[in-house]
Amino acid sequence: MKFKYTLEVLTVIAIVAFCVVFLYTSLTMSGAEFAGSDNVGSGLIAKLSRTPLENFKPLITQWKPPSGEIESSLFAFQAAVGGILVGGVFGYWIGQKKKA
Amino acid sequence: MHIMEGFLPWQWCLVWWIVALPCLMLGIYQLKRVLAADREALPLLGVTGGFIFILSSLKLPSVTGSCSHPTGTGLSTISFGPWITAVVCAIVLLFQSLFLAHGGLSVLGANIVSMGIVGPLVGYTFYRLLRDTSVNIYITVFLVTALADIFTYVTTSLELALAYPAESGGFVSSFILFLGIFAVTQVPLAIVEGIVLALVFKYIIALKPDILIRLKIFSEEKINAARNEI
Repeated sequence: MKFKYTLEVLTVIAIVAFCVVFLYTSLTMSGAEFAGSDNVGSGLIAKLSRTPLENFKPLITQWKPPSGEIESSLFAFQAAVGGILVGGVFGYWIGQKKKA
Repeated sequence: MHIMEGFLPWQWCLVWWIVALPCLMLGIYQLKRVLAADREALPLLGVTGGFIFILSSLKLPSVTGSCSHPTGTGLSTISFGPWITAVVCAIVLLFQSLFLAHGGLSVLGANIVSMGIVGPLVGYTFYRLLRDTSVNIYITVFLVTALADIFTYVTTSLELALAYPAESGGFVSSFILFLGIFAVTQVPLAIVEGIVLALVFKYIIALKPDILIRLKIFSEEKINAARNEI
């Protein structure tokens, strides 16, 4: 019988390799803080424009999540919405297929 | 890929809003037309859009020692083209600007252009080039996804370099500096994202091949061939 899970195996290998690279980087690289590249980018903007970072004020007033916990829960909410959509539709399709 | 609120001069915010708005309007028009023609397109939109929601919320560590997130726009680009993808991205980016302080309302135009328009447009070009060749569907999905991801970050670098040219070397040297931060971090993420979404496409083909054929996303022969492969 033909092996049917080549793509699944490749995906697992890619994810494991990704984790190994992360572990290697975090153990060997000095100064790796794993901050968001958005913030690293903002730092470079401040350097290029010779303006201190705190002088950049929002053009339109913005609500900021008061803590990292609240921010992570809102991100989890975003991912949950996506997960419900994906899971719901796959279930709907499986149901359609069974009925047909 | 988010440009933070306040980090883009208002003139550039305006420029990118002017670029983004017609694309969004075209996207909304196309979305209405696609859904009116075939209600079964809605679940497919749900799955492809759902992956944009999931993947763009995952901040992953990378080789440069900083974190970044994939964009997830590949499936939607292949299924519905770049303009409808821009509409879905605009919804995600609006949520992130209002509630997460990632990006902001003034820079939303610039962020929609990078994640929702230029990235998917590059991916879509490759999809159109590869669709009618003998190239395997999964390789097509992988390439489109990875390129849409990378070019989102190349565009962010471009937008920032245009607004902040370096004193010595000007636009080019500043573009290279921003690429070093955004694009290099993104390479491993784009590769993993491409493989994962190719696997998701395998399941879409397994469950609902007829919608892909009806919407003329891939030809029937190619989809049948893909079902028997890997």
